Amino acid sequence: MSSPIIVVENLVKWYGPHLAVRDVSFSVADGEIVGLLGPNGSGKSTIFRILTGYLTPSSGVATVAGCDVASQSPAARGEVGYVPEDAPLYDHMRVNEFLRFMARLKGLEGSRLGRAVEEAVERLRLEKVLTMTVAKLSRGYRQRVAIAQALLTKPRLLVFDEPTSGLDPSQVIAVRNLIRELGGQQTVLIASHILSEIEQIASRVMILLDGKLLTADALQQGERTRRLRLRISGPEYEVRSCIATVPGVRSVSTESVGATGQYLVEGECRPQLAQELAATLIGRGFALSELCAVLPDLEQIFLELTTRTIGVAA
Amino acid sequence: MKQFIVLWGKEEAALFSSPIAYVVIVVFLLIMGYSFTLALFIGHTPTLVHLFFQMFVLFLLTVPIVTMRLIAEERKLRTVEVLLTSSATEVHIVLAKFTASMSLLILMLTLSGTYAIVLAIYGHPDWGPIFSGYLGLLLLGAALVGFGLLTSALTANQIIAALLSLSVFLLLWIIDDFGYLLPDPFDTLVVNLSLSVHFKPFATGSMYFSDVAFYLSATLLTLFLSVRALAWR
Repeated sequence: MSSPIIVVENLVKWYGPHLAVRDVSFSVADGEIVGLLGPNGSGKSTIFRILTGYLTPSSGVATVAGCDVASQSPAARGEVGYVPEDAPLYDHMRVNEFLRFMARLKGLEGSRLGRAVEEAVERLRLEKVLTMTVAKLSRGYRQRVAIAQALLTKPRLLVFDEPTSGLDPSQVIAVRNLIRELGGQQTVLIASHILSEIEQIASRVMILLDGKLLTADALQQGERTRRLRLRISGPEYEVRSCIATVPGVRSVSTESVGATGQYLVEGECRPQLAQELAATLIGRGFALSELCAVLPDLEQIFLELTTRTIGVAA
Repeated sequence: MKQFIVLWGKEEAALFSSPIAYVVIVVFLLIMGYSFTLALFIGHTPTLVHLFFQMFVLFLLTVPIVTMRLIAEERKLRTVEVLLTSSATEVHIVLAKFTASMSLLILMLTLSGTYAIVLAIYGHPDWGPIFSGYLGLLLLGAALVGFGLLTSALTANQIIAALLSLSVFLLLWIIDDFGYLLPDPFDTLVVNLSLSVHFKPFATGSMYFSDVAFYLSATLLTLFLSVRALAWR
């Protein structure tokens, strides 16, 4: 694993009496695409605003490329390209004017400025709307302009807060592809409350609930449980009893009954589990017509983790 | 410094691309032109003293309109998040907005300078009160813009920002009338908060360090508080 570009340790943020971020710690390696998943109000935007220098933490430490976001804010901000939720832009400016303004504000000038704007325009395919005022742009183009300004200085870290919020399906696909493409060159941190989106973009998923980090790698968490789907002929009760005798099986659920029933088995994460299941069932005379592994389901993991946490709190 | 210049340019463009600046300038010049014409051709008085008092009142009424959107709009549209996560700081933002607003007031005062030129062409005006009057208006304008920025930084609602500024300006305009009714030493304290008490000497050609210090300290204090208000999030 390469060196971490983001290191967050025991981060806490209070808004008056409201605790928005509770003792959060995680790190992100250079080049990773990491998703931060959580329902609205779970603290995703607050963490992003701390990492981008907009908010200061109440306690704890957050560093970007080795620079503390609170005490070395200008240096840390120089390493980050930030696309806030809903792409806030200056409606009265033309696209070209806005990008040049942001480039100058970020310290670019002369030929470097012109080249940076040209590259961002080309990469985001903004040529058609360059002379249009921002107010007249579609949501998709607004989002692209917001991403273009984040790319101007070629920052090492790109932070996207709900990048597909309010976009139509074709715009969602375009933005998703773009982020995936950017991920090959830069570190990307992306927040969303949409499971499928995070699942399709991120290589690692963190789950946040009520300001608390439930897991720093939900997909790995899912891999701790092996899920197998089987299609077997035989009486349901006998099939389930037989499966339950196999060592390492934690639960069996019936998905469909009939001449050939379908069952979902959850058990220890051992490669031999499938082999042992097949051997036991065939040995007892059941006709096994299908046995396949079920990939970790982020939705399932999310629901399990959040339900468990809510249950503990209650 | 570079960030300040970039932001200042953006503020000037935003100010002069909105109709508010032009409406304020036109209304200001129409009212001032009417008063000047009346005074000169009917009253036959070759002085700008009464015009300075009218400009004083017009500044109290128009500055809240100019300043109300400055930070409130950035907060509402969340563009302040874009600025503050680039390399700009709260000080850059507040100073750029202050300077741009002052440029509008300076333009208004410069255009009203034509009245002084007319007086110079047709008579022999006393230049002392004219210079001190303009200096007083400039200092007053700076303090008002500073306070307008502060109220705009305290809320995301432009109307509330404008009403708050206007209420405070009107209160500080007439507060000396109430101050004189109070017992010693409260009378001095309250009277010295009055904008008009500190402006009168400028308009009539007298300049006191205490009046200059009053407006300058009010400007610096409100700018400092605006920075703090913008940083509070």
